[in-house]
Amino acid sequence: MDNYLLQFPEAWQFDVGDSIDIWIKTVSQDHREVFTAIKTAVITSVKGIYSLLEMTPWWLLIFIVMILGWRMSGKKRVGALFGAMLFFVGSSGLWVHMLQTLSIVIAAVILSVILGFPLGILIAMSKRAESIIRPILDLMQTMPTFVYLVPAVILFSIGMTPALMATTIYAVVPMIRLTSHGINHVDTEVVEAAKAFGSTTLQALIKVQIPQAKSTIMAGLNQTIMMAMSMVVTCALIGANGLGMEILIATNRTEMGKALMPGIAIVIIAIILDRLTQGLIKKSEATKT
Amino acid sequence: MMKKTLLILIVAFSMVMALGGCGGTETGDEVITITATDNGWDSQMLHNEIARIIVTEGYDNYDFQLSTGSSTMNWQAMLVGDVDVDIESWTDNVVTYQDDLASGAIVELGVLVEDSAQGFYVPKYVIEGDEARGIEAVAPDLKTVKDLKDYAEFFPDDEDPSKGRIYGSIPGWMADEILYKKYELYGLDEFYNYARLGSEATLWASLNAAYNLGEPWVGYCYEPTWVSGKLDIVLLEDEPYEPGLFEEGKTGFPKQKLKIVASSALAEKAPDLIEFFESYNTGSELVSKALAYLDETGATHEEAAVWFLTEFDYVLDEWLPEERAAKVREAIQ
Repeated sequence: MDNYLLQFPEAWQFDVGDSIDIWIKTVSQDHREVFTAIKTAVITSVKGIYSLLEMTPWWLLIFIVMILGWRMSGKKRVGALFGAMLFFVGSSGLWVHMLQTLSIVIAAVILSVILGFPLGILIAMSKRAESIIRPILDLMQTMPTFVYLVPAVILFSIGMTPALMATTIYAVVPMIRLTSHGINHVDTEVVEAAKAFGSTTLQALIKVQIPQAKSTIMAGLNQTIMMAMSMVVTCALIGANGLGMEILIATNRTEMGKALMPGIAIVIIAIILDRLTQGLIKKSEATKT
Repeated sequence: MMKKTLLILIVAFSMVMALGGCGGTETGDEVITITATDNGWDSQMLHNEIARIIVTEGYDNYDFQLSTGSSTMNWQAMLVGDVDVDIESWTDNVVTYQDDLASGAIVELGVLVEDSAQGFYVPKYVIEGDEARGIEAVAPDLKTVKDLKDYAEFFPDDEDPSKGRIYGSIPGWMADEILYKKYELYGLDEFYNYARLGSEATLWASLNAAYNLGEPWVGYCYEPTWVSGKLDIVLLEDEPYEPGLFEEGKTGFPKQKLKIVASSALAEKAPDLIEFFESYNTGSELVSKALAYLDETGATHEEAAVWFLTEFDYVLDEWLPEERAAKVREAIQ
């Protein structure tokens, strides 16, 4: 009592932890159908992507990546290098794990684009929307993942569903930010010119602003993919199988060598995805001018 | 410019040093800091707080701090002597335990809890139902791990409708390896998928979520822990423990001894504390009571530790010489 100047007064402290716990539990009980429906939708789509990847023979996938790498960079040896790197993942015995990881990453990226692209446009078009959504984005990016990982398990059980949720929350942010950034930074004169010729706001958006902002939006996609990749190990904590789980098992046993291989595999996938999307950005820049 | 910055840095640094020095002289002699592992589970946190009270109040010149981290990382830190003591050490889950002991890096000081259990658990309502909550017993004849074969449909895997789901232990723990062997050996792999969760927090969250909804759940758990104290869960029976066969997954888990393990440097650093750690022993019943108290009252671990030492006052006489026990009693009054 005597040193309330030095210590925060106890009477002014409050604790909402319990009521939030109870709230989450009641929500999970009362709206079970909703969560089950979401769960079924997620599981079906992730499994769909997985079986599509699984159906593709390994050599075909390597071949496709080689061709894409060659096309994007214009150099044959880049394509060959990508092929060799993917082959290395396969020869480390991690092919199936890679596909499991990829299917969650791809699903998260698709979901991020579906959510992030329109939201980015909304922020760019409306100042009010921006002042509401921007602080939420800051929150999503800085909130430690573990804080929403456990409630995600309570609501969506374990496995792909909470993994996809956590990855999307984290990875959608650059998609939104860079979409709005790109559209905001299209030359105002160009937009005015379009309007002077009688196009509506919507027409100016679709025909002028979005095509002009394409390379920035692609950069957002690239960042989204990279951030989704970085969540792979965290997702293993909630039971998502794949490369992250291999790392987790190995590190928990302090088998550092064994953890290295899936670690390298993640780096390889990230590099390939990064270079391929970077190539797309360069191409869209080239067509712009 | 550079000189000025440098001067400011020197002044600031010496002020910090002076302040630090003041703090040191106030408490008298040189204070030795004891570092204990905090791997994040409740019972260990409680034991750490009990030990903190005894080490700082019952003895002179000791300070007590925690090293918070994963059990694997803390174990490595203890091997090199950065961490002094691991109270409530699940040595059976540490693959390298015997080697580390043989290398002399660590020493076993005592046994904290003699009768700890682990294995596959189900909520009690799965077997007996719960009238108050309107839950029907789905598997009234489920008694042993082998019986699980007949009940796979009641423990559905929502990612694979053709099979049930068993929640395994934490990846990398010995218990997980053994349970996985058992899962294959007992032919449960034909009926169930074996799901691994990366951390205890999420494993307990999945059990809690299922319990909350009254859904069947089968998976790994251990006692004493707040989950086993708070939820009514039942250990599935298995073949009686036999060394040799157990490692292959053929028998159930033995009652585990939870030990107090210390870095070998502790004996030199704090010789008078060894007598306390050697006799520090609680048994799982007292711990479960304290954990239940923790959960019911929402007390902090520190408050629960004080409650524990007041409620089970007699333990002080078992653990400590007379005058030290008196000092602790005086402090927690």
